[in-house]
Amino acid sequence: MWIITCRRLRRDRRGISNVIVIAISLVIILAIVSNIVLWNYEMNQVDWEKMKEDVSITNVERVTYGSQFTFENGGGLTVHLVSLWIINSTAHQRYDISVFVNSADTKNYLRDDISLPTGSYTVKVVTERGNTAVYSGN
Amino acid sequence: MEEKNVRKLSRNRRGITPVLSSLLLTVIAVAGMSIAVTATYVITDGLHDNMGERFIVEDVWFTSGQVSLYVRNVGRVSINVDAVYVNRTRQSFTALELEQDNHGWLNVTYSWSADSAYEIKVVTRRGTNFVDYYMSPS
Repeated sequence: MWIITCRRLRRDRRGISNVIVIAISLVIILAIVSNIVLWNYEMNQVDWEKMKEDVSITNVERVTYGSQFTFENGGGLTVHLVSLWIINSTAHQRYDISVFVNSADTKNYLRDDISLPTGSYTVKVVTERGNTAVYSGN
Repeated sequence: MEEKNVRKLSRNRRGITPVLSSLLLTVIAVAGMSIAVTATYVITDGLHDNMGERFIVEDVWFTSGQVSLYVRNVGRVSINVDAVYVNRTRQSFTALELEQDNHGWLNVTYSWSADSAYEIKVVTRRGTNFVDYYMSPS
């Protein structure tokens, strides 16, 4: 009896198209969902890394040739500084920089082409992840 | 004998309908699958772009009759600035499109008053926005 039923089932082709349609639909849905979930995970990671950053400018001073900046990384991740701004009442000057500061490390950065303005000024650095640190001096 | 068989076969029209119907079904199935795959691609691509958009305003500079914002794209996709609002009023601005990791000035035409706080909102074409308050110089 069991063998007969098995043979009949094997020969029966009714309903196969439905199964194929459901399988393909599941594959498509799985592709969409996994794609979105993975991308969302990656972007959450980006936001999390941005929140973990803690960079500050501890000192800015005029030196014989140019200016020296001291950056401190108080966060748990290495930061990549990409922009340096020297701002005063008359100008907002931006400089491209590429400085890596390791976690819990301090780094001196010397630039001979930057001269600090007279009077009060603000120095700002921007990290690659989008955080900023500000220092006011005069 | 062989020639006769060939002639008989070429004149025989039986069995053509199932072939045509199978062919038609195959074409319909392939077309349906292509539409499904394209729709999947379009949906996931759109969501990808929306989720991957990140940008920051590095600096705001109030100059005569103009407010300049320095925008940096820190996301995973290119951005296109669609609207700028100052105190919730849409303002005209120079078009700005930034590829990944790019940055540039966004000049907004606006006659500002000294020593006042302004709410500035930048909106991209995909709907991501950045809003913050900035103080004009005295």
